[in-house]
Amino acid sequence: MRLLEDRAKAWLRARALPVPEGRVAATPGEAGAIARDLGGRIAVKALVAAGRRGKAGGVRLAEDGEAVEAAARAILGMELAGQRTARVYVEAAVEIAAEFYVSFGFGRLAPQVVVSRRGGVDIEAVSASDPGALVTADIDPLRGLRIWDAADLWDRAGIESGLVPQLATLTARLYEAFHAADALMLEVNPIAVTRDAKLFVVGAMMEIDDNALFRHAAWRDLGLDDAGPGGRPLNERERAVVAADRKFPGGAIRYTELPGDIGLFVSGGGAGLLQHDLVLAAGARPANHSDLSPATIEKPAALFDAIFANPGAKGMLVGMNYLQLLPCTLIIEALLVSLRRNQVDPRRFPIVLRVFGPKEDEARALAASVPGLRYMRAGASLEEAVREIVAAVNGIGS
Amino acid sequence: MSILIDRDTRVLVQGATGTQARFDIRYCLDYGTRIVAGVTPGRGGESVEGLPVFNTVRAAVAATGANASAVYVPARGVKDAVLEAVDAGIRVLACFAENVPRHDAAAAVAAARAAGARIVGFNTNGVISPGRCKLGGIGGDRAGEIYAPGRIGVCSRSGGMSAEICWMLSRAGLGASTCVSMGGDPIVGMRMVEVLEMFEADPETDACIIFGEPGGTHELEVAEALREGRLRKPVIALIAGQFQENYPLGVSFGHFAAVIKGENDSASAKRRLLVEAGARVAGSLEEMPRLLRQG
Repeated sequence: MRLLEDRAKAWLRARALPVPEGRVAATPGEAGAIARDLGGRIAVKALVAAGRRGKAGGVRLAEDGEAVEAAARAILGMELAGQRTARVYVEAAVEIAAEFYVSFGFGRLAPQVVVSRRGGVDIEAVSASDPGALVTADIDPLRGLRIWDAADLWDRAGIESGLVPQLATLTARLYEAFHAADALMLEVNPIAVTRDAKLFVVGAMMEIDDNALFRHAAWRDLGLDDAGPGGRPLNERERAVVAADRKFPGGAIRYTELPGDIGLFVSGGGAGLLQHDLVLAAGARPANHSDLSPATIEKPAALFDAIFANPGAKGMLVGMNYLQLLPCTLIIEALLVSLRRNQVDPRRFPIVLRVFGPKEDEARALAASVPGLRYMRAGASLEEAVREIVAAVNGIGS
Repeated sequence: MSILIDRDTRVLVQGATGTQARFDIRYCLDYGTRIVAGVTPGRGGESVEGLPVFNTVRAAVAATGANASAVYVPARGVKDAVLEAVDAGIRVLACFAENVPRHDAAAAVAAARAAGARIVGFNTNGVISPGRCKLGGIGGDRAGEIYAPGRIGVCSRSGGMSAEICWMLSRAGLGASTCVSMGGDPIVGMRMVEVLEMFEADPETDACIIFGEPGGTHELEVAEALREGRLRKPVIALIAGQFQENYPLGVSFGHFAAVIKGENDSASAKRRLLVEAGARVAGSLEEMPRLLRQG
């Protein structure tokens, strides 16, 4: 989950890192009041999850309260990276003499740090035009990033010696903040240096690990990360699946709606990817993608509910890889619950079941109690099940 | 021979008193895995499926000589469970929980690697050396039928696909020396290329099958090792998820690790790079036996 600038900076400020004073405003009037309270030169910034805000006009400097109100009026409502700006961040502006860059993220096995003497600009552009200006290193997560490790990095980045101690200390403390937040990414761009050689965290973006929210009660109830494919907001069925995933314990469900007509109830990550490829190769189009690692019947039932509620779906493949951790009956029981509560008739809405594994005989007997369910013969391949559902959906009404 | 586990592997189960652990322990014992102990803090002295339960891994190792651990601890406890096991001398671990916090995963993997221990997972259904030993739920109730013994090393990013691949091998009269479900989380204990290097050194493995997905660099590292001659045994690859290329970068459809972020992350790019490096890329499971028999 992405933390916007206000929350990212609040986290850093609480750890006594040098963050300029700033607060959030939803109206020009509020922005002006904050500016008058802070005094001096003010930066007004669009509070949206978008990089390159400055270039798009989403960041403005203003000298007094009135100018801040005008800047806020111009920015509020602005469309940035497909999002409408509803709030601005009003912050004491820093007199910048030099700008640097630091970010933390993850490599293949361990956290990584990137530092650069070229801050305040688009880092992808620096990486393309001047790769030597970036210094990247893995961080041993058991040891952390020590001040002298960071000093070495800034040295290699070509920073003048006088600034290295301060930058190294700040970098080590930013790593601690990154780690303590369970962040997946923390980017400070720029770190600003004033004429009197003070450092400030001027730009900060942070992405935190949804899987670690149990350690961060303050962030648990923030809005859902609602980017569907192409950045569209989640629809009601997708939201219902996310809500069910959070509500019921054990396992996991994911659901993304697509424009086709074959509902996909697939599991096991990779096997689901393969079946989606196979549906496309058969000339048909999925109505959704899904993924499931079930533990109890609530989550799979919620996933069935979403597929049945999708007006685009004309049939469904329940394409499980050979089950190894769970009885087949769990999937069929969830299906029967959802069929009943959504009043779906498999004689009109074809459903192909490839559900093999423990308790398969009992699962077959359960499925046989509902007319129309098409349970694949034992040993049928993933490919055969895909061919079966494509033929059945193509045959509707003919 | 096999890799990671064998007939002599002595297994303890961390989190042995949970539901999934009990379900799997029964099937593992029936399969012939030498499970010697369970560990659940606070439940020492109890027994699970006839196994003694200890409060700590150290006590379990001292009493039973266990050298491998099946870790059923939930995601939030995985880091401590791994550190405890590594500290007690365990050198092979399978970690089943999904969605382990990223910083915890990195710390656990670093601790294991520093001690020379190997983690299978996170988010794996386990590892199996057919006919000898299995850790975890891999194979379910029919591990014997699905995972036939043989001379193919299998390494899959999907636990479900490890079953489908090995079942296909069984039906084709072939089998696996060892099958490793690497785990679907973004950080896993071993790189795919490291598993393949173990197969390269295993005299009972003649060829390898990999199952790959979009996202990450596992398959690209395999291609690099093939080009550099570090891997000489034939590698047959099935890479799923080409459909993701119809959607914007950064959209996740399955495993959280399977997110395309750059141009070499896509299924098509991985297929192309593997072919150029000399791997045989299959379009479907059904094609694999023929590719294996090309010799």
